[in-house]
Amino acid sequence: MPSFLFDRKAKIQPHVQREGVRAMATTPKTDYDVIVVGAGFGGPVAARKCARAGLDTLMLERSDVPGEKVVSGLVIPIYGFLYGPEFIRKGNPPIERPICSVVNRLVKGGRIVKTDRSLRMPRPFTLGYAAYCKPFCTWLADRATKAGAELRTRTAAVDVIMEDGEVVGVVTDRGEELRARVVIDAGGTQNPLAIKAGIRRKYPPEAIELYMLWDYEMPKRDVDEVFGHSMEFFHAYPEEGIGAPLGYGSTFYIFTYRDSIHPGLGQFLVTEGEIPNLAKLIPQYQENFTARVERWKRDIAPRTRLRAVMWDVCPIYAGLIPSAREMPIYTGGMIVTGDAAGFEASAFGDGVPNAWFSAEIAGETAVEAVRAGDASASFLARYEERVRAHPFIIKTISDRRRWDMRELLAGRDEAEFARKVRDHWGIGAFRYGNMGGPVLKASAKALRESPLVALEWIEMFRRYFDNWERNRFDPLSGTRRGLTPVPQARGEA
Amino acid sequence: MAMTYQEFPGVEWVEGAGDYIKVDAEKCSGCANCVRVCLAQCFKIAGKKAVVDNLDRCMECGACWYVCAPDAIRFSWPPGGTGFRTLWG
Ligand SMILES: Cc1cc2nc3c(=O)[nH]c(=O)nc-3n(C[C@H](O)[C@H](O)[C@H](O)COP(=O)(O)OP(=O)(O)OC[C@H]3O[C@@H](n4cnc5c(N)ncnc54)[C@H](O)[C@@H]3O)c2cc1C
Ligand code: SF4
Ligand code: SF4
Repeated sequence: MPSFLFDRKAKIQPHVQREGVRAMATTPKTDYDVIVVGAGFGGPVAARKCARAGLDTLMLERSDVPGEKVVSGLVIPIYGFLYGPEFIRKGNPPIERPICSVVNRLVKGGRIVKTDRSLRMPRPFTLGYAAYCKPFCTWLADRATKAGAELRTRTAAVDVIMEDGEVVGVVTDRGEELRARVVIDAGGTQNPLAIKAGIRRKYPPEAIELYMLWDYEMPKRDVDEVFGHSMEFFHAYPEEGIGAPLGYGSTFYIFTYRDSIHPGLGQFLVTEGEIPNLAKLIPQYQENFTARVERWKRDIAPRTRLRAVMWDVCPIYAGLIPSAREMPIYTGGMIVTGDAAGFEASAFGDGVPNAWFSAEIAGETAVEAVRAGDASASFLARYEERVRAHPFIIKTISDRRRWDMRELLAGRDEAEFARKVRDHWGIGAFRYGNMGGPVLKASAKALRESPLVALEWIEMFRRYFDNWERNRFDPLSGTRRGLTPVPQARGEA
Repeated sequence: MAMTYQEFPGVEWVEGAGDYIKVDAEKCSGCANCVRVCLAQCFKIAGKKAVVDNLDRCMECGACWYVCAPDAIRFSWPPGGTGFRTLWG
């Protein structure tokens, strides 16, 4: 049951030298205005901006299909859509479910002792949209290639070319030297490239959360009945054994999709001062959750079938730990965006909106730099100035709400626990000091720039809901295997 | 060719990844932090030093590299198009 449509004819430039294929007669191009490393969530946004301004733009992506190495399925919060790139708002990306409410459950002895449903929107308004990374990133990459950017998949940038202390290009894993006036690093959390360029160091482990995810098939009518348009968080004290100590991880959550659910949980690589045995703990939390929590056993498990297990890390506290926050985000010839720049929101762990915002700013800055013929560090400094002036980026990466859950570990004040949950994941998320302030600021700015944007927002909410109900989205470019992730037989595929 | 493993459904590993994660035995303190955070059990301790046992089910997350204080782990990406890919990520 493919949940999106395919357009196998849509153009993705084949990457230049596939192994097993004889080298092409024409010499591959090696000189560009802009090279964007990574076609995940941010990269295509930057590439599209540059290509539309007429710049010769190349995206490099190490995976075969954009998004298939981005772990993992997510709920992209609404502020990314409302205040992010216009083409996303006006487009029809493949979404898995409009999310209108966040349900917070407090678990004790396996039972739900309290449920908070204070954070909800009347449809068609939403708090965000659930999505799988592969189709969504492919949709984004398609928008960039349609605007004229070139995409080379299965190509990792492994080093930078430096001249006079400035980045002037990258070296690929096949040894090609590709030159550009500006390199935009949208390579995600681990970012070995920006490290090679001497801009950044590996994140301190205190900043990094390791997430494990489980994807389950669940018939749509069951997801509709059990969850509707909501997603759920399960909060508990550590002795329940269903998640990390408070403030040291994300609680067990369930993202809901069209005909599947995508639970996950995470824990920081340093917890209460030590490197925990996550190899043992994380699978154990999930085992305990599925064995003990009644809601799972009764309402959910009987209707599901496990079909995928995966994990990845996320720089959730990069904005809260000084040694991570203080790393530069640009140098001569290079701009760092998204997760590579540490722009993960620290309260919920949502990084897509900031990846979009920073990629747009990076694209705009690169266009100006190429036009001015100046990609020096002093010219690119405007990238950081704009990031700092942005209503969401700095605010969301330095949000202490999740971190402060740690305070609950010492006392056993249940009323305080419930209050913090409501203030953080419930309606309190919209308090002025939390997200309310940035939302007002961003709305005022957007309306000042174009008063019609309000109509655009309402139209988007309606159209996205309608697209979802009809299960019709923009066609996606195909690959040899197509984009639908077909379940594979076990053993050799 | 791609491999799948029963304990990690929905993920495939495309061959040709090579040894993109390496331990420098000189620098390794034997702290076993890498062993503790790797969900794929890629490392083992042999003779008080960590060694990469195999990267067959490695998801290229870098957790091992982040927790290695003496920087004994060299982390890089496998060649483009190789290594893990998710079907439902
Ligand atoms: C488990 C988990 C759950 C998450 N849930 C949410 C959520 O619900 N909502 C939300 O908003 N955010 C969520 N996030 C965060 C979100 O996924 C990231 O913030 C976002 O993907 C960052 O975008 P990016 O463009 O910076 O990097 P990515 O989207 O990670 O893209 C990086 C791309 O670059 C490629 N690449 C990397 N290095 C190279 C190289 N050297 N050469 C070529 N290609 C390269 C990668 O293959 C990848 O395609 C989650 C993260 C995790 C780990
Ligand atoms: S974390 Fe580093 S130092 Fe510790 S055992 Fe592993 S490789 Fe050795
Ligand atoms: S990158 Fe992740 S999965 Fe691979 S060896 Fe390191 S910790 Fe294990």
